[in-house]
Amino acid sequence: MGQYLLKKVDFEKFVNSVIKSHSLVAPVESHSGKKHSKSYFTKIKDASEIFLDKKTHYPIKGFFFHPEETLFEFDCNKIKDPNIDTTPIVYFGVRRCDLNGIMHQDIVFLEEHEDPFYNARRDAALLIGYHCKEGDDYCFCNSFELKDFYDLMFYDKGDNYGVEVGSEKGEEFLKEFSDFFVESEGIVTEEDKKIINKKELKNLDIKDYYHSETWKKGADKCLSCGACNFLCVNCHCFDISDDVNFDLKTGKRVRKPASCQLRSFTRVAGEHIFRDSKLARFKHRIYHQIQYFKDRHDEVFCTGCGRCIEGCPAKIDWVEIINEFKKIEG
Amino acid sequence: MTTQEQIIKDSPYKPILVKVLSYNRETSDTFTIKLDWSLKHEPGQFVFCSLPGIGEAPISICSSSDKYIELNIREVGNMTNKLAELKEGDELLVRGPYGKSYPMEKFMGKNLVIVGGGSGVAPLKGVVEFINNSRDDYNDVQLFFGFRSPDDLLFKYRIDDWKNNLGLKLSFDKVSEPTDLGEQGFVTQLVQEDVEFDENSIAFICGPPIMIEKTAEILSKKGFKDEQIYISAERLMYCGMGKCGRCMIHGKYTCLDGAVFRYDELKDYKDD
Repeated sequence: MGQYLLKKVDFEKFVNSVIKSHSLVAPVESHSGKKHSKSYFTKIKDASEIFLDKKTHYPIKGFFFHPEETLFEFDCNKIKDPNIDTTPIVYFGVRRCDLNGIMHQDIVFLEEHEDPFYNARRDAALLIGYHCKEGDDYCFCNSFELKDFYDLMFYDKGDNYGVEVGSEKGEEFLKEFSDFFVESEGIVTEEDKKIINKKELKNLDIKDYYHSETWKKGADKCLSCGACNFLCVNCHCFDISDDVNFDLKTGKRVRKPASCQLRSFTRVAGEHIFRDSKLARFKHRIYHQIQYFKDRHDEVFCTGCGRCIEGCPAKIDWVEIINEFKKIEG
Repeated sequence: MTTQEQIIKDSPYKPILVKVLSYNRETSDTFTIKLDWSLKHEPGQFVFCSLPGIGEAPISICSSSDKYIELNIREVGNMTNKLAELKEGDELLVRGPYGKSYPMEKFMGKNLVIVGGGSGVAPLKGVVEFINNSRDDYNDVQLFFGFRSPDDLLFKYRIDDWKNNLGLKLSFDKVSEPTDLGEQGFVTQLVQEDVEFDENSIAFICGPPIMIEKTAEILSKKGFKDEQIYISAERLMYCGMGKCGRCMIHGKYTCLDGAVFRYDELKDYKDD
């Protein structure tokens, strides 16, 4: 697919003309300049709001896998189909780790028993990526073979942006704003696609270490808070429950994200908890990320965004725990 | 720009309404309902029952017919306690079937050793009915069912038939001596005493985790290979479609890859 050039001086004009005709979601910074500043994706009204200096603190998944999804409404046994907002949204500034996270969620929600809620939002989305030249202290995306998964990808080329087209949808979008883009084959080189990482996951084959004592180093510190699930680009487990109105007849069945680190995650009637030990829960998340998904879909689930390590209140670095396996037991 | 809204119609989460044809109380805490639901299914599969306002629960199918579905349910939680209040003629929201069944076709010509404990006997009743419908396809069949006491015995109306035609043996662990119906003790003792190793045999075990574990151990000691033993797993489940992630056991989804598993798929991961 083609490559184009966008002059940085035209960037704000381009974004603002997109905003005129589309809903645009992009990274912004809260508490700018403060120590506790965090960046996150939100709908923006002006190009000046965009903040691209660092990876967002929160992943983008919540726009597709909603924090609360009404599966249907009910009145006793009568079921009413729900409405879903399908306004087209352009997502700008999505990093490679997040884009691959979306690709993985597509596998979960769209292959075998297609999820119509997720599907409607994905259909309405145009994904414009922003390439990181250098990861932060927690990034280890180079440990995986992340794929090119985007409609358009922006690369910083000094005074210009190199823009690579990844899909027909992206091509169509560019045509709509063709005044800003100049065809420029070869502007994005293989060198541009590299990302410098400080961190590395050195062992992707953890199959034989399941019963290792070393996992305790992480599990003993774990607070079972679920921050890692919340911040993960992939974690998609959910609860389904019924919200009943005061008439005790009507209500809605809703789906909400759940955390496998919570003890109640596997609790059944009779108060039996299958994955009762913190150690088993701690391992479960990491094995799902590194091994289980790969066994099933031939893709490592984790995309190396490092948000689960950065956001862990106990500062558990599971990448270092796995790296130790190599030294001690490998 | 105005908000575009689309109605989600073909949602896999949406249940359908079926009629309760009959309601039969089995024991003080167990009942069986027959649903007017012609559902193509295989032995070992399960369905979800919905009570709007209460929730949804996966229940294994305990019959083997294209014309109706029977569900045997024990009252252990909010959902099942409320389901117990159903009556003949009521309507119930359901969706399914889900799960991988016992690979019955693969076992044609084999001897079948079927071991059930308590509520675990329910899905095995579906298997037994399937075998009865095509008895010539299978070789020797041995049934071993264990319950707490004769008062807890499920499917009493079938016992004579199964004893006479399928060599059913019963055990009761909460009685002090043998009864007319069966032995005193755990079902594992029956397996220990009566099962002989044969490389042409396949064992199905369904029941509480500890019963599955002990039975499998006994069979292994007798020479059964892991590939000859099939166990049922049970987990919390919300979707039945491999999305909610709740039923995962070491990377396998109980809803997609189970609930029937070959023993070697799970045996090393009892804490997961």
